[in-house]
Amino acid sequence: MTFQDLIATLQQYWSEQGCVIQQPHDMEMGAGTFHPATFLRAIGPEPWNAAYVQASRRPADGRYGDNPNRLQRYYQFQVILKPSPADIQELYLRSLQHLGIDTLTHDVRFIEDDWESPTLGAWGLGWEVWLNGMEISQFTYFQQVGGLECKPVSGEITYGLERIAVYLQDISNVYDLVWTDTGNGPVSYGDIHHQDEVEMSAYNFEKADTTSLFRWFDECEAQSMMLVEDDLPLPAYELVLKASHIFNLLDARHAISVTERQRFILRVRTAARAVARNYYEKREKLGFPLCT
Amino acid sequence: MHIKDLLLEIGAEELPPKSLAHLASALADGIRQGLQDKELEHGSVSWFATPRRLAVIVRNLSVTQEDKQVVKRGPAIAAAYDEAGKPTRAAEGFARSCGVEVADLEHMETGKGSWLSYKYLEQGARTDELVPAIIERTLAGLPIPKRMRWGGNVIEFVRPVHWVVLLFGEDVIPATILGIEAGRDTRGHRFHHPGVITLSDTGEYLDRLAGEGQVIADFDERKIRIRQAVVRCADACNGQALIDEDLLDETTALVEWPVAISGTFDEEFLKLPREVLIATMQSQQKYFPVLGPGNGELTADFIAIANIASSSPDAIKRGNERVIRPRLGDAAFFWERDRKQPLEYFKSRMDKVVFQQKLGSLADKTARIENLGEYIAGEMGINPDSVKRAAHLAKCDLLTDMVGEFPELQGVMGRYYALESGEHPEVAQALDEQYMPRYAGAGLPQTTTGRILALADKLDTLTGIFAIGQAPTGDKDPFGLRRAGLGCLRIMIECALPLDLEDCIAHSAGTFPDEVNAGAVASDVFDFMQERLRRYYLDDGVRATVFDAVQACRPTRPHDFHLRVLAVSEFLQLPEADSLVTANKRIRNILKQAGYTRESDPDEALLVEETEKELYRQMNAGKTEANTGRGDYIARLTSLAGLRDYVDAFFDEVMVLCKDESLRNNRLALLSELRKLFLATADVSRLQ
Repeated sequence: MTFQDLIATLQQYWSEQGCVIQQPHDMEMGAGTFHPATFLRAIGPEPWNAAYVQASRRPADGRYGDNPNRLQRYYQFQVILKPSPADIQELYLRSLQHLGIDTLTHDVRFIEDDWESPTLGAWGLGWEVWLNGMEISQFTYFQQVGGLECKPVSGEITYGLERIAVYLQDISNVYDLVWTDTGNGPVSYGDIHHQDEVEMSAYNFEKADTTSLFRWFDECEAQSMMLVEDDLPLPAYELVLKASHIFNLLDARHAISVTERQRFILRVRTAARAVARNYYEKREKLGFPLCT
Repeated sequence: MHIKDLLLEIGAEELPPKSLAHLASALADGIRQGLQDKELEHGSVSWFATPRRLAVIVRNLSVTQEDKQVVKRGPAIAAAYDEAGKPTRAAEGFARSCGVEVADLEHMETGKGSWLSYKYLEQGARTDELVPAIIERTLAGLPIPKRMRWGGNVIEFVRPVHWVVLLFGEDVIPATILGIEAGRDTRGHRFHHPGVITLSDTGEYLDRLAGEGQVIADFDERKIRIRQAVVRCADACNGQALIDEDLLDETTALVEWPVAISGTFDEEFLKLPREVLIATMQSQQKYFPVLGPGNGELTADFIAIANIASSSPDAIKRGNERVIRPRLGDAAFFWERDRKQPLEYFKSRMDKVVFQQKLGSLADKTARIENLGEYIAGEMGINPDSVKRAAHLAKCDLLTDMVGEFPELQGVMGRYYALESGEHPEVAQALDEQYMPRYAGAGLPQTTTGRILALADKLDTLTGIFAIGQAPTGDKDPFGLRRAGLGCLRIMIECALPLDLEDCIAHSAGTFPDEVNAGAVASDVFDFMQERLRRYYLDDGVRATVFDAVQACRPTRPHDFHLRVLAVSEFLQLPEADSLVTANKRIRNILKQAGYTRESDPDEALLVEETEKELYRQMNAGKTEANTGRGDYIARLTSLAGLRDYVDAFFDEVMVLCKDESLRNNRLALLSELRKLFLATADVSRLQ
C-alpha cells in the first residue's frame, strides 16, 4: 500500500463513519491536536466528527535527513469523535483491518499512555496502540482542553502515518517509502521530502534567528491577547499557534534555559486558555449552532 | 443451608497495567468489608483481573442476613406509671413508637434500674437487595489516581465500562452499576472471542472464559503461565531468561491470552552496556532478555509476550525484531556521542540545568555535595580527594543523551563514562553507588567513596527540600525524602559509619545560601530522620518500647543508636531484666516525686544500712568493669544486670524517703547514680 493509498483508505473509511473530512490547517503546528478542528471543536457541548491529515512540525527532531525514522516534519492522520462513541475502539480496529492488518495474525494492543499538553492546558487518558511492539497510534479521551472540562468528552485517534506505511511496505527507511506509483515509476517519500528535511534541519538548528524569534514570540502573544479582547477567538488562536511554533524553534536552537522553558510554556498556555474561554463564550452567544 | 456464590465482573476498556492487581484486590477488600458490615456470612473472596475486566467471586454467601432479636428500651418503670398505676404519656408514647399497646411491653432489669422495653424479631434483609449498595460504595472508594469520563456520561471510572455481570448463583441481581445494567453476559478475548458468553451460573465463569473465551481471568495463573512460557522460550534459545518480577507483573496485566514469542537483534548491539540493552528491552519494549548458558552474559535474543494465538507467529516475531532495531540503533548513537568527550565536559553545562528552582542549578548542588562530602570524609578521618572528585562528577551523566533517554540509568552511565574517561575505578563506582539503595531493601554502596557520596547527595536533598517547605505530608512525598532518609540511616548503620547525623545536617544546612535559611529546618530534618529510624526498627520487628528507651537518651550517631538497640534487645533476654526495669521505673518516680536535682555524688560515709553499702560497693565495682569497653553497651547492661539482687534488697530494706534529710539526700544521690549508669545506654524504665 503506497503512502498515498494509506491516506486515501483512512479518509474513505472515516468518511463512511460519518466524519467530516477536513484539510490540513495551513500553519505550522506540533501535532494534529493543534488543528482548530480538534482543539477548538473539543470545547463546549457541540457534537463534532472529523478526520484529516496534518503535517506536524517538531523542529528538535530533525536529523538532516540522515536518520531512517526521525523527521522534523511528518504526517499525522487525526480523527476526532465528539462525544466519543461507545464503540470507538472497534471503529479504530476496523480501520486497521481496512489497511490489511489482520488482528488475528498481528499482536495489536492498547498500552496505557496518558496524554498531557502543557502548552494547550489539555490532558486526557488513553493508550498508545502497539502493533507487534511498535507504537502506531495514539488514542485519547480528552478530559480537559484549554483549561476547560470536556463535556461531552471527545475521543481522539492519531495515526502515525509514516510508521504504519513503513510497516505495511516492509522497509526500514522512511525515505524509501513509496509515496505513489506514477506512470513514470514510483515516487518515494525521500523524493518529496528529503531536501526539505536537510534544509529545514539546518534552519531549525543553525540559522533560525533567535533575536527575531524572541521578538516574534512576544508580538504573537500580545496580539493574541488583544484579539481575545476584541472577541475574535479564531485569529487569536492562529497567533497562539504561531507563538507555539516559535517556542519550538527557540527550543531547537537551545536558546531557552530550563527555567525559562517552563515560563514560556506557561505563557503559551495562558494564551491558549484565554482563547478557549473566548471561543466557548462566542459559541454560546451563537447558541451552540451545531447542537440542534 | 441457603448459600450461593456471588460473581461481579466489570468489563472495561484496557485498564492501566501497573495498578491492575491492586485495583482488583481493593475491589475484593471493599466487598468483603461491605458484607461484613451487613453481617452477611460468606466463604472465600477472590479477585480476578485482566486488561479488560475486574472480577470478584464470593463463595458460599448467605442469601439473607440472620434474623435478629432486638430489644428497644423505653422509659424507666418509675416514670412509666402514675400513682394510680396507669401508664404515663411517656409509656404510651413509647408503645406507639413501637406500634403496640402498653400492655404488650415488657419489663427489663439492668444494673441501673428497671425499664419498659419492647422485644421483637427483626427479619434479616435479602442479600441480593444489599449487594448493589455494597458494590456502589466499594467502587466509589477504589484507589484510582485519575478517574475519567467518556462520551456524554457523568459516570467516572478508570476507563470506559462496557458490561457488568452480577450473578448470585443462577440469578442476575438487578442493579445499575457505573451506568450499566448488570446482566449475565461476559465477553471473551478482544479478538479471539469478541462476542458475548452468557453465563447460566456463577460456577461457569472461569472455565467458560478460559475455554471458548480464550481469557485466563486469574492473574496469578496467568503469571505462572507467562513465567513458564518465558523459561521454555529461553530454553529453546539455549539460554536463560532474565525475569524481572515487576515486568512479569506488568506483562501479566497487559494480556488475556499470553503467548511467548522469541526474536533476535543484531549481535553488533551487544557491545552496548548491559544495562542499556536491558533498559531498552524491559522498560521500552517490555521484553524479557535472555542470558547465555553458563556465563550470564546477554545474548541477542529476547522474548516478547503477545496477547494472541496468532495464525502466523512469525509475523509477530518479525514485527518485534523490526521495532527493537531502531531503538537499539538510537541507544548506540547516544553511546557513541556521549563518549566523544570526557565525562567532565558535561560539568560546564550544568549551571543551565535547574535542580530545583529555589535551590539552584545542578552546578550549585554539585558544589554543595562536594563541600558536604569533604566534611564527612574529614569526620571519618579519611583523605577526601576521591570523594571530592566523585562529587564533582556526580551529576554529569544527567546531561548525557543516554540518561536523557533512559533516566533510570542515572549513575550507571556515570560509572561507564567515568571509566571511559580514565577516572579512578572507585570514583567511577561511587557515581553509580550514589543512588543506592535504589529501592526498599536494595543493596548499599560498597566503596567508602560511594557511601560518602550517597550520604552527601541524599542529605543535601533532604535539607534543601525541607528548607523550601516541601517536606513530605501524608502520602505526598514527591522528592522521595522518606526513601532518601531511610537510605542515609541504612548506610550509617549497616556500613557502621561513626557519623553524627545532627552535625552532618547542620553542616549541610550551612552549604545553602543564606536566603534559603536552611539552618532553621535542621532540627526538623533530624526529627524526620528519627521518625524514619523508628520505622526502620519497627519494620525489623524491634519493639517500640526498645526504640523509645534508646531514643530517650537522644543518641545522635545512628550507628551508636543501633548498638544501644542491640544491647537493650539482648538485655531484655536476661532473667534480671524485668525486675531491673521495674526498679528503674521506681527510681524515676521516686526522684521525680522528691523533686530531686542532683547536687553531689553519694557519700559513702553517710550510708547506714548494710544493703545500701553493698549496693554502693557493687555499683562502683561494676562501673569500672563496664567502663572498660567504651560503647560496649552489651557489656555494660550485662554488668548492670548483676546488680539486680542488690537493688531488690535495697528497696526491701532501706527507707529512701526517711526523716533525716542528709541520709535521705544521700540515698537519692545513690539512686540517681544508679539510674545514670543505665541511662548511659538507654532509659530502661521505658521498657515496661
